[in-house]
Amino acid sequence: MTELLANLVPVLAQEVSAHGDGGGPAWIASVPLLALFASVLCLGALFLGVKSKLPAWIVVVSLGISFIVTLTGFLAWQGTADDSGHLHAQLIQIYEWIGMANAGSGGEAFSGFFGFYMDGLSWLWMLFVTGLATLIALYASEYMEHDVGKGYARFFAAFALFVFSMACLVMGDNLLLLYLGWEGVGLCSYLLIGYFYKKPSAVAAAKKAFIVNRIGDLGLAVGLFLTFVTFETIQYDELFASVGSGVMANGQAYSGTWQSWLIPICLMIGAFGKSAQFPLYVWLPDAMEGPTPVSALIHAATMVTAGVYLIARMMPLFLADETHLALTIVAWTGAFTALLAATIGMAQFDIKRIMAYSTVSQLGYMFAGLGVLTSAGAAFHVFTHAFFKALLFLACGAVMHGFAGQLDLRKLSGLLSMKGWGIVSLTMLVGCLNLAGVPLITSGYFSKDMILAEAFVTPNEVIAGSSWIGWILLFTAGLTAYYTFRVFFRVFVGPEHFEPGDDHHGDDDDHGHDHDDAHSNGHGGSHDGFHPHPPRMAINGVLLILALCSFLAIPTYFVGKHHGWVGGLIHESSAYVPSEATPWLHHADDDHTGDHAGDAHHEGDLVAGTILGQDPHKAMYFISAVVGLIGILVAARLHGPAGAWGLGLGSRTEAATSRADALLPRMGPVARWAQNKWYVDEFYNALFVRPLYVLANIFHAIDKLLVDGLVNLFGLLPRWLAQSLRPSQSGVLHGYAVGMAGGLVVVLVIVLVLLFMGGGGG
Amino acid sequence: MSLFLAQLSTAEPIGGLTLAHFLVVSAVMFTLGLVGFLSRRNLIIMFLCTEMMFQAAGLALIAFGRFHMNHTGEVFVIFVLTIAAAEAALALALVVLLYRRKQTLDAEAWAELQG
Amino acid sequence: MESSLLIWLMAVPLATTGAIVFAPERMAKVLATFGSMVGVLLGLIAAGRFDWADGAAYQFTSSFPLIESLGINLSFGVDSIALWLVLLTQLLQPLCVIGSFSAITERVRTYYAWLMALQAAMIGVFVARDLLFFYISFEFTLVPMYVLISLYGSTNRRKAATKFFLYTFTGSMIALAGLVYVVWFTAQTTGEWTFAIETLEQQARTMGRSQQAWVLLAMLAGFAVKVPIFPLHTWLPLAHTEAPTAGSVILAGVLLKLGTYAIWRFVLPFVPAAVNEYAPIIAGVCIVGILYGGLVCWVQRDVKKLVAYSSVAHLGFCMLGMFALNNVGAAGSVLYMINHGLSTGALFFCIGFMYERYHTRSLDEVGGLASKMPVWSFFMGFFTMASVGLPGLNGFVSEIMCLMGAFQSGAADIGAGGTTGPLGPWYAAIAGTGMIVAAMYLLFMVGKIVFGPLREPAGHHEHDVLPTDLNAREIGVLSVLAAGCIVLGVYPRMVIHNIEAPIEQTLSVVSMAASGDDPASTLATTGGPVLLAGRDAE
Repeated sequence: MTELLANLVPVLAQEVSAHGDGGGPAWIASVPLLALFASVLCLGALFLGVKSKLPAWIVVVSLGISFIVTLTGFLAWQGTADDSGHLHAQLIQIYEWIGMANAGSGGEAFSGFFGFYMDGLSWLWMLFVTGLATLIALYASEYMEHDVGKGYARFFAAFALFVFSMACLVMGDNLLLLYLGWEGVGLCSYLLIGYFYKKPSAVAAAKKAFIVNRIGDLGLAVGLFLTFVTFETIQYDELFASVGSGVMANGQAYSGTWQSWLIPICLMIGAFGKSAQFPLYVWLPDAMEGPTPVSALIHAATMVTAGVYLIARMMPLFLADETHLALTIVAWTGAFTALLAATIGMAQFDIKRIMAYSTVSQLGYMFAGLGVLTSAGAAFHVFTHAFFKALLFLACGAVMHGFAGQLDLRKLSGLLSMKGWGIVSLTMLVGCLNLAGVPLITSGYFSKDMILAEAFVTPNEVIAGSSWIGWILLFTAGLTAYYTFRVFFRVFVGPEHFEPGDDHHGDDDDHGHDHDDAHSNGHGGSHDGFHPHPPRMAINGVLLILALCSFLAIPTYFVGKHHGWVGGLIHESSAYVPSEATPWLHHADDDHTGDHAGDAHHEGDLVAGTILGQDPHKAMYFISAVVGLIGILVAARLHGPAGAWGLGLGSRTEAATSRADALLPRMGPVARWAQNKWYVDEFYNALFVRPLYVLANIFHAIDKLLVDGLVNLFGLLPRWLAQSLRPSQSGVLHGYAVGMAGGLVVVLVIVLVLLFMGGGGG
Repeated sequence: MSLFLAQLSTAEPIGGLTLAHFLVVSAVMFTLGLVGFLSRRNLIIMFLCTEMMFQAAGLALIAFGRFHMNHTGEVFVIFVLTIAAAEAALALALVVLLYRRKQTLDAEAWAELQG
Repeated sequence: MESSLLIWLMAVPLATTGAIVFAPERMAKVLATFGSMVGVLLGLIAAGRFDWADGAAYQFTSSFPLIESLGINLSFGVDSIALWLVLLTQLLQPLCVIGSFSAITERVRTYYAWLMALQAAMIGVFVARDLLFFYISFEFTLVPMYVLISLYGSTNRRKAATKFFLYTFTGSMIALAGLVYVVWFTAQTTGEWTFAIETLEQQARTMGRSQQAWVLLAMLAGFAVKVPIFPLHTWLPLAHTEAPTAGSVILAGVLLKLGTYAIWRFVLPFVPAAVNEYAPIIAGVCIVGILYGGLVCWVQRDVKKLVAYSSVAHLGFCMLGMFALNNVGAAGSVLYMINHGLSTGALFFCIGFMYERYHTRSLDEVGGLASKMPVWSFFMGFFTMASVGLPGLNGFVSEIMCLMGAFQSGAADIGAGGTTGPLGPWYAAIAGTGMIVAAMYLLFMVGKIVFGPLREPAGHHEHDVLPTDLNAREIGVLSVLAAGCIVLGVYPRMVIHNIEAPIEQTLSVVSMAASGDDPASTLATTGGPVLLAGRDAE
């Protein structure tokens, strides 16, 4: 039997021994494997019908260990700097996943390893993915407690599976493994959006998310194919070496070929799908049907930044295109998405949806950042955004949890002064300050500034209209500050008021009845007997830790010599935009400043842009601060309550109405359009979904009538023939007898005729 | 044709009888059977007519066997007789069954196999 | 390597059939289970004793002369591709037997007898080294399947069985004409009648261009119906819908693979010049089938029909990979045969288990079963994901390889990663949209039947014997398939590595035919020595 196994798996053992001693510690593989293991255990708990919080603890503990392992690995990696202080990527190959030898050349026809590529970019992502996942799992252990014994294990199984997939996506050493993670996180997103699977809207949202993502995935797949055909590898280290040398696998120059712009565009489409950029952003707001911890982790902090990761990871390929076509599209799409989502976010009433649109908008910033060649800025914004947006979502989730699913900002007010909601309100404030980019005290301010400033620094000749992108983003920053504080002023301060929602947790009908029993009149319009339950230890603790983290992200901006700690990590990764690609910059931070000082002028025509004649890096500190504050003040004026918490500008006394409500009718249809998300969903529906459905129906009809009809026609031909011959069979014995006799006569006659003719002839 | 007739006439006579005599009798018997089969509607009569055609064929075979001075024809006829006996038993049984169904022996009464 | 192992592989199911026929009714399923389990054991022994390093060569060969004057032998032998398909058959058989325990309650003996006879025929197709032996096995599969559908199917079963039989039979007749022509051609050139596939293969290649084209057309007429390639697919949804569960599983799992296997075994090596010439057209038809089949799936109301149409789309990918005529595409194609057998077979099991409880397959009548049958829903979701092509499960590997193969094929001038071949990036890019369509229809299905509010048909009551959710037997059946999906998804090299050699052998023939400017003339020159060598051997 062992012989048989050895025959079936002839290569596994060899490959482990051949590649196990790669450039890094193989135990880093335990990060995804722990998550996978936790997922399998939760699945086991689900089958066994475990009726306790055991699944949550399994996941929290294993993810916690994953985080510690990641941190250990990261610290070990930091110690591997070479003489010049550079950190090299670690390559850990476990086994060859998909591979096929080539007939002619003897090389590989196609190969993808299950292996990891750990450089600054992957370490950064893994640190915040595992860290945040642990915290949010802890939060969810309390948040999902209504579902213990029902969907609880299912939730945590999918949750842990998500971390596994995300780890594969981020740590994978080739595009194929990235694709595995890419689709894997898509699956988990699907499962978790559809967590409340009895709600048709949740099922539809889950389906939409998966399908829209698949459109992007096709781009990624084609990009993968094209990359392999061009470079004969999809392995990062070999790929970057090839791109660096500027030579394709067939020995010709890569620069100037059509692949050099098409590969980035294909990859970009993939990134647009996963990171919810226009035109593929429509799934993300709907994804808010999922439980809030999921929205926080997957649809705000980690999964949706996978597109940013992809472009950052593939930066050498994007830069190899000298026309910067793909990067220009990325930048403009990012800026446009940021603006579009912000305008929609301004007009929504569901606070979770507002946060969703703000996520889309912030992702737009990150893409714009990548587009204007500041991968460090984009990565830093990903990093800070992960904390403060998770914080915002979790705070929203706490509200939703406490008020039976109420998310309408018109029906909630004054949470700050309610008993037990202090921590939620204050941490929400921290999140809002970050998102609005309040100067100096928030990390969001610094990360957003990096992107805004670079948009102005990058010359318009390199990225077409770069400074326009800057202005759009700046304007959007004002809108962001407005809609963020619109939520805060309405929900958290002002007179105390609430109407509970009619939602219930869990996935069981009978659970709804429990809820009814507990709060007997909870749904009858009034809320007598409904008591909001404020969050307890786990939720409050996680909120505080995240708030703390969002502050701790500030000093990281000031350490190191490459735009802070995150910039330093990006510098040691494939995402780094080398100084050769940005000749307009005087690299104060570059190791070879002296060498380049002359070069910069040699290039001559490319000079760094300015904003209003000032150095953008310095000026932006003031400009964006002012813009952000204006946004907050407008929000205070329109939505703030009378008194100190409205900054002395507000006048709201009623819970439900504010100055803005009076303003709305005067804005004409624009407000309604924005509220209806500019009818993009309806537009897609009319342009793609309906026609496709009609086409499918037409095909179905063709299949029935034409394709199958022809087959049946051929089947009918013999039948018609038989029908026409049928009367000859009368069934009467004499008929057959006469026929026989007649036949005999005919035969006789023929024989006789032949005989006579033969006789005549002879 | 003329060759065939010449052969018939030059064949060795058997007690004054030539092959032609036997064949003529056989042909007459066969024709009688055929005409009977076609003209009668009683199943038993029709069955008897088929038997007559059988015997006509058998007679011809015996005559040919004698004519060629071998036993092939006789062997064949013994087979035919055996099978005809078995078949007669079956056929008559069927006829009885058919009669029981419709209380008639009229062949026209049965046309179940019409297409 | 001489061995009687393959004879045993065929003899065991045949013997089981005989035993079932003469044993009492209540022993039928015990015997069938036992027989199919012995088959699994034999399959494992075959896998263990197979020399994988020499996968391109026929192994376990044995031969018995049948009609010597025509060169017809009962000769057995498998290469590694055929062996994998044999293993797939052996794996599915006991699952089909065990999965039918509760579904088949009447005429049990007939059912299991035919089911086992079907297995013998399917094995016969894969182990045949003689054309006539192959063809008889190929055609004989129709008889058991016809009986299974027409006796144990649902309401419209007679029509479905007849259509299935007549449609595939008509196609096969035309294929027979093509195959016999090859035999005749060989007899003309070598002066000796033979039905040995190896000999025919060598001689058939020397046919001229137009001859090759006609033979290609004839063979495709038979095999493409079986696959089925659009637009020859309309028998499939009907047959699948009406067949009993195990019938559908075998149909999707193995019978369709007979078509793809036959194309691989006969079309490619027999008429390589014509294949090179017409591959773009065939691939184009496959792509139409992928999109057309997928869209038609989307509007189905009958869940079994939906999965049946998905087979049309899926096998479009499989054929696309094969006609990319390069290593990656062909390996993806072979892998697709196995993977589709596992995942689609499993989907049919899932639907069958649901049907036993609800007696309906209509998406309008039943749905939202996640709350009522969580375990069933888990498996349904799992196999749907395998079918959608989720990386980490089996479907992805074969799909991406088929697309990659199509992309590389003919992309040699783009970069070193490309190969020579008749297709190109556009084929892969357009076929790739099939992945989106697949997500659309399969998630539509899951969204209806697994998720959403619970809907049960009016007057539904619990099954007399079966529990609400799956019982241990059913979970066991599905778990085996799920394990297969995971193993082949995580470590597909297990298969790929072992089928590299026969793929290279076949493709080298095809590419040799492609490299000559005029295939007929180059073949004529290369044909000579082959001919002489053949005579020398005698």
